[in-house]
Amino acid sequence: MNTLVTSSTTPVYWDTYNPDISANPYGVYQRLRNEAPLYYNADHDFYAVSRFADVERCLSDWETFSSSRSDVLEFIKGGVEAPDGMFIWEDPPKHTAYRSIVSRVFTPRRMNDLEGMIRDYCVRCLDPLVGSDRIDFIADLGAKLPGGVIGMLLGIPDEDRDKVRERVDAALRTESGKPMEINQARYQGDDFEDYIEWREKNPSNDLMTELLNVEFQDYQGVTRKLTREEILIFINVLAGAGNETTSRLIGWIGKVLGDNPDQRRQIAADPSLIPTALEELLRVEPPGTAVCRYVMKDVEIHGQTVPAGSALLCIVAAANRDETRFPNGDRFDIHRKGATHITFGRGIHACLGSALARVEGRVVMEEVLKRFPDWEVDVDNALLSSSSTTRGWDTLPAFIR
Amino acid sequence: MAIITYIEFNGEEHAIAVPAGTSVMRGAVQNAVPGIIGECGGVMSCGTCHVYVAPEWIPRLSERSPAEASLLEEVYDVQANSRLSCQITVNDELNGLVVRLPERQV
Repeated sequence: MNTLVTSSTTPVYWDTYNPDISANPYGVYQRLRNEAPLYYNADHDFYAVSRFADVERCLSDWETFSSSRSDVLEFIKGGVEAPDGMFIWEDPPKHTAYRSIVSRVFTPRRMNDLEGMIRDYCVRCLDPLVGSDRIDFIADLGAKLPGGVIGMLLGIPDEDRDKVRERVDAALRTESGKPMEINQARYQGDDFEDYIEWREKNPSNDLMTELLNVEFQDYQGVTRKLTREEILIFINVLAGAGNETTSRLIGWIGKVLGDNPDQRRQIAADPSLIPTALEELLRVEPPGTAVCRYVMKDVEIHGQTVPAGSALLCIVAAANRDETRFPNGDRFDIHRKGATHITFGRGIHACLGSALARVEGRVVMEEVLKRFPDWEVDVDNALLSSSSTTRGWDTLPAFIR
Repeated sequence: MAIITYIEFNGEEHAIAVPAGTSVMRGAVQNAVPGIIGECGGVMSCGTCHVYVAPEWIPRLSERSPAEASLLEEVYDVQANSRLSCQITVNDELNGLVVRLPERQV
């Protein structure tokens, strides 16, 4: 009753910092979709869209909704300068020139070619747990596998992979209730420099060697190789993008399947359900909850003008539960048919690594369920964290049944 | 406006009225036809809108661009009549076009 009264009298409030909201944001998302499809937050001076059609429109229109000042709210507000080669924070023609270098590397077929290696790595993480009564989906798997896979792609030796992950995690972690700090935009780094030099002298069939050798036409029309600085930025972008989000996906696999034992048992009994179950999981709990865009020119959304220079958050986690697109959108249903989620974004900046994330998610579900068809999340000891870009578990222990 | 028939791998058919100027991919995505993802929105980056065009319709479509042909090398189960549906723009002449969907996009 209380909630009803509150919702009819108080205007909806949302930001990405409030831990009370991010613990379970879906009620607020529903109110945003219904009551404030164009939301403005005066405290932090940003706009937000939450309906599927609006999120799709904004992400598809890069000329109006630009990534050139980054895709992170705090960095847009703070005026971060993206270095050349940081294609996630660029628009065409720069973006096109750089992204095309790696876009063919991450296609569905090539990523599925990595499946055997990914499975071996996953098995090495899980087999030691067989016979025990506990698993931590983050510490035992989520913290290891994605970094390991990116490392494999790049050819980074095993012993250096943890360092890479720790650095990226530290850079993008926010303190509870606080915005990200601008000095966290330090994707550039020297950590890989020694490795690049070594790999230059010891070429192999990995992505690093490919980046060292590739010739491309840059945005000024010059055909050339990547500079050392550009390679460093590339590596940091790929390592940063592929690590935390996939780790969070693995956490959500543990949480959502843990909370839905009936559907989990169906999947364990019939692993052919895994690909659609994974899509449904990506829909209900997207690791990347929102992306931000810089508004290039005055634009009308739901009858209001959003002025040029604004920051606009596209809440994909809200769009994914839009009732007009996904009936009973809050319900996790592995047999759901129809529309696909927008977890990987849309348009020129759509997640480059989506095919890789899907292989990792599928392999994790297969290998976990093979060994542990039944578990219960240890809620008291699980720890959730969120930022303006992601939401997920830092630790997710579970009792193996 | 043209009626486009999408046939899922399991044989289920979806006849959709798609406005001229819209791509075959968007026609499917906007109407929630299962089996076409179209994540990149039509910029030929993701390769998740692969379809097989019914052979009798091939001559009536524009040819694959080099970029499309290159990305089609990266999709599953490519055939001579494979296309990226984001690269087929609907016009009135395509009324009745039939496309079959592959077993998997990803």
